[in-house]
Amino acid sequence: MPDPSHPTVSKQILLRILLLCLLQPLTIAADEVTEAIQVIAKTGDQARGSESAAAAVKRLTEEDISIVPRLLSAMDTPNIVAANWYRQAYEIIIESELGKENPRIPVELLKKFVLDRKHQGRVRRLAWDLLDRVEPGFRQAETPLLLDDPEFGRDAVERTMQAAQQLLDDGKQQEAIAVYLRAFNASRLDNQIRAAADRLGQLGEPVNIIEHMGFLHRWYLLGPFDAPGFSGYQMSFPPEKKVDLAAEYTGKDGTPIRWQASQSADRLGQLNLATGIAPVKEAVGYAYAEVHSPREQDVQLRCGADDNMTVWINGKKTFTRLQWLNGTRLDRFTSPAHLEEGINTILVKICQGPQHKNPAVPNNWSMQLRLCDRTGGSVQVRISRPLLTELPKP
Amino acid sequence: MRHFPSSLCLVILLAGTMHLPGQEWTQWRGPDRNGVQPQAVIPVEWSGTKNVQWKTPLPGMGISSPITWQDRIFIAAAERQRPDQLHLLCISRSTGSVLWHRRWWGTAPTRFHSSKSSMASPTPVTDGRSVYAFYGTGDLFCVDLEGNQQWHRSLATEYGRFENRFSATSSPLIYEDLVILQCDHYGPSYLLAIDRRTGKDSWKQDRPGKWLSWSSPRLIQVNKPGKGQPDSELVVTGSLSIDGLDPRSGTPLWTVGGMRRECIPTPVIADGVLYAVSGPKGPSLAIRPGGRGDVTGSHVIWENLRGAPFVPSPILVGDYYYLVDDQGITTCLRVDNGERVWQKRLPGAYTASPVATSSHIYFTSESGETTVIKAHVSTYEQVSRNELGEAVFASAAVTSRQLLIRTTGHLWSISSP
Repeated sequence: MPDPSHPTVSKQILLRILLLCLLQPLTIAADEVTEAIQVIAKTGDQARGSESAAAAVKRLTEEDISIVPRLLSAMDTPNIVAANWYRQAYEIIIESELGKENPRIPVELLKKFVLDRKHQGRVRRLAWDLLDRVEPGFRQAETPLLLDDPEFGRDAVERTMQAAQQLLDDGKQQEAIAVYLRAFNASRLDNQIRAAADRLGQLGEPVNIIEHMGFLHRWYLLGPFDAPGFSGYQMSFPPEKKVDLAAEYTGKDGTPIRWQASQSADRLGQLNLATGIAPVKEAVGYAYAEVHSPREQDVQLRCGADDNMTVWINGKKTFTRLQWLNGTRLDRFTSPAHLEEGINTILVKICQGPQHKNPAVPNNWSMQLRLCDRTGGSVQVRISRPLLTELPKP
Repeated sequence: MRHFPSSLCLVILLAGTMHLPGQEWTQWRGPDRNGVQPQAVIPVEWSGTKNVQWKTPLPGMGISSPITWQDRIFIAAAERQRPDQLHLLCISRSTGSVLWHRRWWGTAPTRFHSSKSSMASPTPVTDGRSVYAFYGTGDLFCVDLEGNQQWHRSLATEYGRFENRFSATSSPLIYEDLVILQCDHYGPSYLLAIDRRTGKDSWKQDRPGKWLSWSSPRLIQVNKPGKGQPDSELVVTGSLSIDGLDPRSGTPLWTVGGMRRECIPTPVIADGVLYAVSGPKGPSLAIRPGGRGDVTGSHVIWENLRGAPFVPSPILVGDYYYLVDDQGITTCLRVDNGERVWQKRLPGAYTASPVATSSHIYFTSESGETTVIKAHVSTYEQVSRNELGEAVFASAAVTSRQLLIRTTGHLWSISSP
């Protein structure tokens, strides 16, 4: 006789079947979600996979708020086309949830996601925007702590600057200086850098923007070489074969030219070649410097010139751009570059085109160049040549 | 005699009170891309409270214009502090309420846009089934009228990020089954025709030597000898020239020199003649389209070297062609010979392009003041000056009974009660 306290074998089988029946829809749903996410991941160039992605979004929006962690994870992709497809599903689900009487927003998960620097900045911001709607105090509390955050650093700098101003308003000047310095050291955006530097200057605590942003502002300049019309970019002059700082060359109009040390007076290191070399048109000039890097490192070369420019680092052509009358603007071009430990040579060729058809348009001749990390921060490079002592006396 | 059923009469009556297809403002500068809505009956006087049907707050900012389809208005926006945050809103034409709001990430915001513009500077276009929204980040999105995404192209990923000091503003153009984009920038410039249904390229025409420009492409009908039907030609204004191309293939057909290096205004067309301008202080040209190769010597009907704007597009109503430059100097030229009829300085600075009905022309300044003048008269006849109290950089849209003005904060519907 079977023991009544234990289910019979047939009962056990029935229970298992029942359990399987209950779980099966969940398993199918999970598989469909995975499939929908995978379909969207394949979208890309030429609107590839759009029709399937539209259907996949529709399928995803049938899910409830519990799918949000998976959508955040899916959006955390460099494929922006896929990210925007996922975002459509995310926003529909979020808005639906927020419309409920007691929305179940996964607050702790969002906080963790927002503060995890491994995720794409844009997805972290999206998650933070949602947090603002359910727990606005989180941003207030966390932002000042994110000064070195690649995504939220600028927000933290802004808040830190506000805090410094408040200290100043309260008559606590020394504390304000310390907080402004913290903001300056963390800032990577030129407007924030300049604002912090201005404030510190006014408070008698000047800081060095040139070093902070990695500008090369001291150069040997050579020119003008003659380059009729727009021919300068295609022409090659002796410094491109060998830099000989002692050599003398024949310049435009037969004038003898030599390398001359020069230093920019601009706070962002912009060098005026019309004054540094000569106020000429249809010419080519060169700038040369040697910099010391404390280590072998990959850096960013950020530069701009009016007119076009070519940059060689340690003799290797690192950047070139054919573009006339383009203006010198901060960080106009960015290019990866490599520095050796110790001394590195930097040679720049800058062209100068003809006068603009409108005589009222000034033909600028200028350049700007810095070496920095991918956030725009200093890579501890120092100019070793020209020396300060080589600069002409004012 | 047959009688219409009463229900059909009711349908016709209702349709008459709403809108007619020809009165839709589906694209940049309206039905014919000329800035004119001839049948419109809109106020000539308004203020922040008078003749305001509704006003709706907009996120971010943008200088793109609203477009309309039936009871829907579509308008693009982008955020100033976070220029990769793109928006497309659908707003009820009758109530101003937001029907849906789509948000996207843009691929590559340009770095140096001015305070007047944003990444939402191009005006969307609709074919009545889908809306095509193009942004300065190099992204083109296609959504249906309910806001459901159909496809997305990231041109910055595929063909390189746009290099543009003010953000791209060129607005997409629909031709048959294509959406055509003019992507002139500091980097490699090109024209691109995309299949409206699939989002794939139909053709791409590289434009070597073309510099940064903000002008929008347009179509013109050209009569060909021996052909009953006129052919459509694609017209683009860019560095130093106006070019005609085959819109089906992108094959260059003709070119006329004389434009400035940077072109912003979109040409207008009347009676088969193209009126193009580029500034500042550049030439205004009347061009007979067609021909092959360089037709500068043979197809320029007249040229006027005074009064050319840098930003606002021109407008043509009847026998007169109007230019307002960025400083407010407004010039009226005769359409047939380009001779100056009058010149007048309007108050303020101007980014928005003028719009017109068959009877009036509306010039809106950056401070949000609109000067209304009479059309079809040979003298400057001011009808009114109207203030909204908010800055305006976007060109207005005109429907049958509404003037839609985008300020920096709102979309306003100006309409008589």
